Amino acid sequence: MSTVLRPNVDDLRLIGFYLGKVIGGLGLIMLLPVPVALALSEFNAAAALVLGAGVALTVGWLSDAHLETRRTLSWAHGMVIVALAWIVGAAFAAIPMHVSGRFSHALGAYFEAVSALTTTGMSVIHDLDHLEASMSLYRHLLQLAGGLGIIIVILALFSAGGSRISTLYVSEARDERILPNVLRTSRFIARVTIMFFIAGVGLLTAALTHAGFSPLRAIEHASALFFSSFATGGFSLMQTSIAYYHAPAVELLVMLLMFAGMLSFALHHALWSRDLREFTTHLETRTLALTSGVFLALMSLGLVREGTYADLAALVRRGLFTLLSAVSSTGHQVNVGETYLTDWGVLAPAALVGAMAIGGMASSTAGGIKALRVGLAFKSITHDIRRFLLPESAVVVTSYHVGRPRILRPDTARAATTVLLLFVLSFLLGTMTALLSGDVDVTEALFEGVSVGANIGISIGVVTPDMPRLLMVVYIVQMIVGRLEFVAVLVLIGYLLSFRRNSRALGRTPR
Amino acid sequence: MSVKDAPRHTRWPLLAVAGVLGLLLVMTTALERSAPIAPISDRAVPMLDELPVPLVDEPLRCTRTDVRADIDDLRRQLRPGGRLTSAVVHGCPRLLDGKDVIYIGEVVGDVLRRSGGAWVLVNDDAYALEVGPLGPHRERRGFNTGLAVWLPDGQHEQLGDPGRHGNRGDIVRIEGVFHRADPADGGGITVRAERLEVLATATRVHEPLDLPLIIAAAVAAVLASGAWGWDRRRTRGRGV
Repeated sequence: MSTVLRPNVDDLRLIGFYLGKVIGGLGLIMLLPVPVALALSEFNAAAALVLGAGVALTVGWLSDAHLETRRTLSWAHGMVIVALAWIVGAAFAAIPMHVSGRFSHALGAYFEAVSALTTTGMSVIHDLDHLEASMSLYRHLLQLAGGLGIIIVILALFSAGGSRISTLYVSEARDERILPNVLRTSRFIARVTIMFFIAGVGLLTAALTHAGFSPLRAIEHASALFFSSFATGGFSLMQTSIAYYHAPAVELLVMLLMFAGMLSFALHHALWSRDLREFTTHLETRTLALTSGVFLALMSLGLVREGTYADLAALVRRGLFTLLSAVSSTGHQVNVGETYLTDWGVLAPAALVGAMAIGGMASSTAGGIKALRVGLAFKSITHDIRRFLLPESAVVVTSYHVGRPRILRPDTARAATTVLLLFVLSFLLGTMTALLSGDVDVTEALFEGVSVGANIGISIGVVTPDMPRLLMVVYIVQMIVGRLEFVAVLVLIGYLLSFRRNSRALGRTPR
Repeated sequence: MSVKDAPRHTRWPLLAVAGVLGLLLVMTTALERSAPIAPISDRAVPMLDELPVPLVDEPLRCTRTDVRADIDDLRRQLRPGGRLTSAVVHGCPRLLDGKDVIYIGEVVGDVLRRSGGAWVLVNDDAYALEVGPLGPHRERRGFNTGLAVWLPDGQHEQLGDPGRHGNRGDIVRIEGVFHRADPADGGGITVRAERLEVLATATRVHEPLDLPLIIAAAVAAVLASGAWGWDRRRTRGRGV
């Protein structure tokens, strides 16, 4: 007799209860920029944010009052809640954007919200350069919430849930607990973020003031740069992104923040504890150092061959920034996207695509396949080669270091390569849909497909406010599955299918 | 999770959730479409018809190395005395590298004053030259596009407030030299201005109050307060 998953109303109640908490938390995030809107007389933006917050908080509090249950969360519940939190939560987050009139249609606003929460950083907003400061702040706060993980943010906001909510933490593609307790882990993440916020905003404000900004504008830009860089999001206050500043000091600070955002919080904890050995022996740091070095060399070779930059300083400044932006999955740009096609030749953009695909570290704010999986896949391949080369009686053991020395087990290797394969399929889906949908060549389609699927955000120009809606839908799917690393979304699909089976069974049940 | 127990109706709760989301979509779309719109005469740049025509009518695109050989041919297709556009620059950066150009657009963002001059971002998109900043109107014309311009001392001082929300910046005509990878800007795309003329001074842009949106926001706030009160009462009732 097979065991069949048949979710019922009580399961829905449990899922709705936690989903309501997340939506309510998003409502609180919408309220944060309202004082800024009122102070700057941006009354329509204030109304849009209050509307979104009101709707989200109503749903949050109603679900809290009506759906509370003492049932415990199972892994399936956790996965479904997290997947729905990103899919449905983005719909609520899109309300202020949609009514602002800055998007071609509701789907565009949803795309923007998904892009913010998944820290992809692709934008389809019209006339960004004249956008209200409060709406800009909202977009950036969404990125920070998404980068840290919606669940983590809700944990920090409500400071409740304890062990019941730890299931959600892991389901949100955060499989590395830094401290034994999830609440302590979330508070450690909050502490690290606040520390970087104070240092980052302070230094950026100084650099921006030196670069010619008025003090208030410097603080506004510094805050936005922190949110989008540390969260590895990539939104910016101006359409020209980081190229707007013409300031090497600002670029350097943004690079440091992107690097900090790219590191796993476990490595932050190791650095916090002055455990430098963990940093140097960690499989991810080694993998990232190796792959980034190779891609930087290839990109530099391509740019030199193409003659894109006349001097070495320009090549290093533009090339290194762009590579770090890709590897960290931030997506900040110091070049106009279209020029990757028209001025960078072939090899340099190809290296960039490779760097984007790998992305940053697991359990960080970064996206992409993740260095950990690439490292594990590489270890798995070398393990198999060694197994074939040695006598059959030999016992081959492959080890790696992540937090502590570990032995590579077949399950671990299979999980890593499965997700890696799913990422590749996602990239192909985006690429093929772009080729089917519009007047783009394969370079553009592949570049954008990888950038969206790995939650990077560097655009070559395929993503525009008026892109075909089918392509927009596919990119939304890519962003969500990429951020959740597939498992939660696949579980959600299985869950929805089980509802269908449930209703069929109900139809057969005698009444 | 129930396993093999008697299935209970799950259809209605799911349909209710879908219904709420659908209702939200309809209501927000209605609110977006009901926003008041300012008349076009208040926002258009008056002297658009008198501006020099662009260098080319259709954007160019140089994508591969072998196109480089054809750049001289492409240059011959350019309209003499035409103005440079950011679309031409981004489509084929090498086309006018080091050449004298005329560039027209709106100064947006900030005037970044440095030693010897200032950096400004000059947009030549539809919001700059055709319909004005989005907000008072809902004519969405895509992304902003523009070029970084270096204005030496003696030129940037005449600029007013740059374009931001609630403000359309100066519309300026710039004569200068275009650089595809300016070493002085770490390889950035720039125009180094030699002459600046303000064609239209910066002006405030008034966005009408969106009353339906404000009323909807007030209703949502009242609903949220009610839900909060209900939640609090139930929490107290449980003795939590």
